[in-house]
Amino acid sequence: MSAIENLEIIEKKTLDAISKKATLEELDQLRITVVGKKGSLTQILRSMGTLSAEERPLVGKRANEVREKIEAALLTKKEELAAKELSERIEASALDISLPGRSRPQGHAHVISQIVKEVEEIFIGLGYTVEDGPYVETEYYNFTSLNAPKDHPSRSPRDTFYVVDPTVAHPKEEIDTRKNIISDVLLRTQTSPVQMRTMEKQCPPIYMISPGLVFRPDTPDANHLPQFTQIEGLVIDKGITFGDLRGTLDHMTRALFGNDRRTRYRPHFFPFTEPSCEIDVSCGVCGGKGCRFCNHAGWLEILGAGLVDPNVLQNAGIDPNVYSGFAFGMGAERIAALRYNLPDLRLLTTGDMRFLEQF
Amino acid sequence: MRISFEWLKTLVDVKGFSAQELASELVRTGTEVAAIEAEGQNFDHVVVGYVETCVDHPDSDHMHVTTVNVGAHNVDEDGNPTPLQIVCGAPNVAAGEKVLVATVGAVLPGDFKIKKAKLRGVESVGMICSARELGLGEDHNGIMVLPEDAPVGMAASEYLGTGDTVIDCEITPNRPDCLNMQGFAKEVAATLDSSLQAPGAGEKTIAEKIAEAGKTAAAQTEGAPCNFPKIQNETAPATETYASISFEESPNDEEPRCTRYVARVLTDIKIKESPEWLQKRIRAAGARPINNVVDITNYVMFLTGQPLHAFDLDKLLQLAQTKKANVVVSAATQGEKIVTLDGEERTLTPQNTLINVETNDGLLPVALAGVMGCENSEIDETSTRVFLESAVFAPSYTSRTSRDLDLISEASLRYERGVDATQSLEAADIACALFEEYADAKIAEKPLDLYPNPVESRCIELSVARVSDLAGAKIEKDFIASRLEKLGCKILGETEKEDARIVNASYLEGVGTGAASAPAYHTGLTSFLTVEVPACRPDLEREIDLVEEVIRLWGMENIAPTIPAARNHTGGYSTGQKRIHLIKDCLEGEGLSEKLSLNFSSGADLVLFGEKDENTVPVELLAPLSSDQSFMRQSLIPGLLQGVAYNLSHGTENVALYEQGRVFFAHKEIQQPQEPTYVSGVLSGQWKKDSWDEHPLPLDFFDAKGILEKLLATLRIAKYRFRPTDAERFSWIFPGRGAELQVNKKAVGWLGAIHPLTLQKFDIEKDVIAFELNQDELLTAAKSSVSFKPISPYPDIEVDLAFTVPEDTTYKTCVERLRSAGGKFLKDVRLFDIYRDEKRLGADRKSLAFALTFNGDDRTLTQEEVDTIMEHLIEKIGKSLNAEVRK
Repeated sequence: MSAIENLEIIEKKTLDAISKKATLEELDQLRITVVGKKGSLTQILRSMGTLSAEERPLVGKRANEVREKIEAALLTKKEELAAKELSERIEASALDISLPGRSRPQGHAHVISQIVKEVEEIFIGLGYTVEDGPYVETEYYNFTSLNAPKDHPSRSPRDTFYVVDPTVAHPKEEIDTRKNIISDVLLRTQTSPVQMRTMEKQCPPIYMISPGLVFRPDTPDANHLPQFTQIEGLVIDKGITFGDLRGTLDHMTRALFGNDRRTRYRPHFFPFTEPSCEIDVSCGVCGGKGCRFCNHAGWLEILGAGLVDPNVLQNAGIDPNVYSGFAFGMGAERIAALRYNLPDLRLLTTGDMRFLEQF
Repeated sequence: MRISFEWLKTLVDVKGFSAQELASELVRTGTEVAAIEAEGQNFDHVVVGYVETCVDHPDSDHMHVTTVNVGAHNVDEDGNPTPLQIVCGAPNVAAGEKVLVATVGAVLPGDFKIKKAKLRGVESVGMICSARELGLGEDHNGIMVLPEDAPVGMAASEYLGTGDTVIDCEITPNRPDCLNMQGFAKEVAATLDSSLQAPGAGEKTIAEKIAEAGKTAAAQTEGAPCNFPKIQNETAPATETYASISFEESPNDEEPRCTRYVARVLTDIKIKESPEWLQKRIRAAGARPINNVVDITNYVMFLTGQPLHAFDLDKLLQLAQTKKANVVVSAATQGEKIVTLDGEERTLTPQNTLINVETNDGLLPVALAGVMGCENSEIDETSTRVFLESAVFAPSYTSRTSRDLDLISEASLRYERGVDATQSLEAADIACALFEEYADAKIAEKPLDLYPNPVESRCIELSVARVSDLAGAKIEKDFIASRLEKLGCKILGETEKEDARIVNASYLEGVGTGAASAPAYHTGLTSFLTVEVPACRPDLEREIDLVEEVIRLWGMENIAPTIPAARNHTGGYSTGQKRIHLIKDCLEGEGLSEKLSLNFSSGADLVLFGEKDENTVPVELLAPLSSDQSFMRQSLIPGLLQGVAYNLSHGTENVALYEQGRVFFAHKEIQQPQEPTYVSGVLSGQWKKDSWDEHPLPLDFFDAKGILEKLLATLRIAKYRFRPTDAERFSWIFPGRGAELQVNKKAVGWLGAIHPLTLQKFDIEKDVIAFELNQDELLTAAKSSVSFKPISPYPDIEVDLAFTVPEDTTYKTCVERLRSAGGKFLKDVRLFDIYRDEKRLGADRKSLAFALTFNGDDRTLTQEEVDTIMEHLIEKIGKSLNAEVRK
């Protein structure tokens, strides 16, 4: 058989075989037997040297033609088979994408912490610092320095938790009966002592908030806890006005409750500030028309505030003729209760995962 | 303070405001309004009707069947008015009368709903009303018959006018002046910028007012004298013939117990019912009418704020066994007992002040001063002579007495906040004038008045510019002066001075340039007003107190909101605060949710989780709410375990909680305790419930340890180690399953499985892993800086090595030995398997499989180099770990 004939046969057979291959693997096998190192076509090409000078160019030309044709056919077939296999694989591996995803556990910050952080961030945006102080305070810092009158009812053991003063030696039976013990150490009833301590250690200007726990002897029920989270703020600077108090607290209220909420300032009385006011935010349920949620008032009380009383500035060693300031306070629990319509404050301290994971 | 709107209108011009409108103005200027109560009635569906026909009920001997024309309130199908058939039992009902008809839908006092009914077979559509049925009075003898000119079909509310309305105000403790009608009227005048009714207004003026105000006001004030009646005659002998007064001071008194004591004596008193108008007023104010004497003393207190007390003079004389009662104000003695008006026996202390009569055997108490009288001198039906006290007792002693004895009266409430001593005599006189009129009393001449140190008037300098400068709004001098005057202040003078305090110069006195475009420049001066404040305002002591008055009357909502510039101030979280948030984020990222616990602790829990430290003592509450909250906590674990127990008992089995909170350790020499913040956590159950392709393992020690390792990495704390916990010191940890964490060689906390016996105390039957760390220590050790290590461009070579070691050789020891044996090219050691097999390895040996990573730093290590290192390493650990390499 002549070399040319051989080539013709290889071409025909191979092209025929390519068209019949069903998998990439079979196709590759075929490729090796024809154009692989020891393939039939490769051998012909290698044996060119044994041909006569006349034959050589003819056979060579034809052999290259055949090789190009086969390789083109192999490539086409390969692409065809690859596409087919891929589509088969895709068909075979379709997922039920409605199955739930695989999640890593994620814990939740307590709703009160979230509110505190929210308020902190509002005030940090206004350039405030966040301060804290001891929970176990002295009567001086909790009351006297803050201008609370000596006989003020808030100082009574009905409204304040007093603790044993460890520096005073009491006879054992007094400790046991806890009678007749007078102590000026107490659990702070407000975070205002932090304001006093900050004023004592920092020179104005002061722009600070003091979130933290405070304690009052209220038996736990749906609306009371003996411990709650107060967020107070204090600004001391030159030229601070009541307008500054309004602007700041209006901003906070809108940031916390939404831009559509209005505020109302009602003059009030607190020993620490003068003038003092209570601040209401319009009810988010009825928009201020009055509904059950707001007790038909249209307003929800959220803040107490006022200009810092000159006596308090003086107690802190700040000249009230040079500096003025404002202070405010609110309860994080109340904000939580208003925002989420919580039925019972005791939910906040049980650690019920079903509660915590909602926030 | 309950304010009768009708009474108020006789004291101050309310400028036509309704009670509702006035209330919202009061709220605007600082008086809290708790409620607005329309007196008694709701007149909806009650109309004027005309009785067209009236016949006897066929089946009743006293009822009548009437037809009543109610105008357009009842129409037939064509829309024409048609009478209602109403059955009426009143004896005085008759055809041709004008009456008030409650139609179907009306709700009368007592929640009495009017419906269509059949009375003994006759249909009745509505009810003809008596005065009592409408809450308009006590008359129930028959229906109310209206004058002939009453327009048929007019709504009752329109015809009668509205009744009195009570505005229930919450008065802040700084405003004793608002605890009486007279003072409240001033507050209203200042709020509305209106005028007080002339104090001398006589009956004529009121009669005129009645004519103006119409029928209802007439009903309210009918027979009422002017608000400040004068005594007509003093016909009884001088007061001093009946009584004398003295104060007994005790050396320990911190302030005088009584600053003024006015006494008047009334004779020939007839105890009877007080007039209707007076009863109405005191009822509106919240008192129950008793008899004319008691009611008048209450009335004058509500009017003027001066508490009065009426003693039965004859009882005083009888107790004293003298012809003249010597009344003495003195401190009570320790343990002294008295019986107050309410029949209660009270044990006293020297904090309480007594009114006594002097007897031969010493002082005999007849009243607890400022709080309540005693039974022994009480007015009764037989009393004929009255010793009337109008005194001022010290706020401090009164408030303590009231608090200690748990006895709050209308009088004590006012004394506690401060009674105006300048008005005591006037108040007594008003009462006497009323006794004269309504108790037929004869008044003793010349009252007794013990007033050793008359209250001096107080003057305050008020800078006009300062008001604006603090408000942040321009408030004009005229406004300031006129409103302060409405409050009872007097402007005694005005000077122009510099005020160095003013920051916003635009509030200073301006000088115009005349040119519209050029701004006015200021003179640097401002007006200072000399303001004399009334004695009834003890809260006005300083300039700022007047500033407050002006700002609240100006209206806080009229001040434009501004945000302060905060020049030269920087804010933001401190590094420590940022790290506290990192800790929270880390723990939440690890799946723990935050719990908040009460910071109290039982004594038992202090012991259960207490590390013995002789230098510290717990913080102990003097009056805890319950015995399990007697102390401040020293560990967060009890609160967290309570959380676990709560969840388990409520069907939640997978619990992962953490808390950041303070604990309290007091020291004997220091008043305030140390309050470090701890961060603690508890794990129980699984990370999550089994899912379609995941079956999480029960949480154990290594979950907690992993969390702590991650936390330490978050805080970039590298130098730490875990050491086994001592079973005795950590008695709450399951022995052998706890570790103490040391950071920089300092103990900062622990983790471990909680001891089953400890869990029992919390009713927990599942395993719980817990950790507790001193967050303050973590924050101290935390670092922010990171040093970059170059990444080797040469490939790592990883070699696996399995070997057996004795069972008690720890992982930590193995790693240390491997590292020391591996040399500088050994970069990482990772344990990937632990294998135990008694038969193949022996009972007391375990096999550990490590992956060792080598890198040549500045070149690629050759296989030969690694082989040499490994040979060397195997030889070394063979000695140092007694390790046998498994092939």
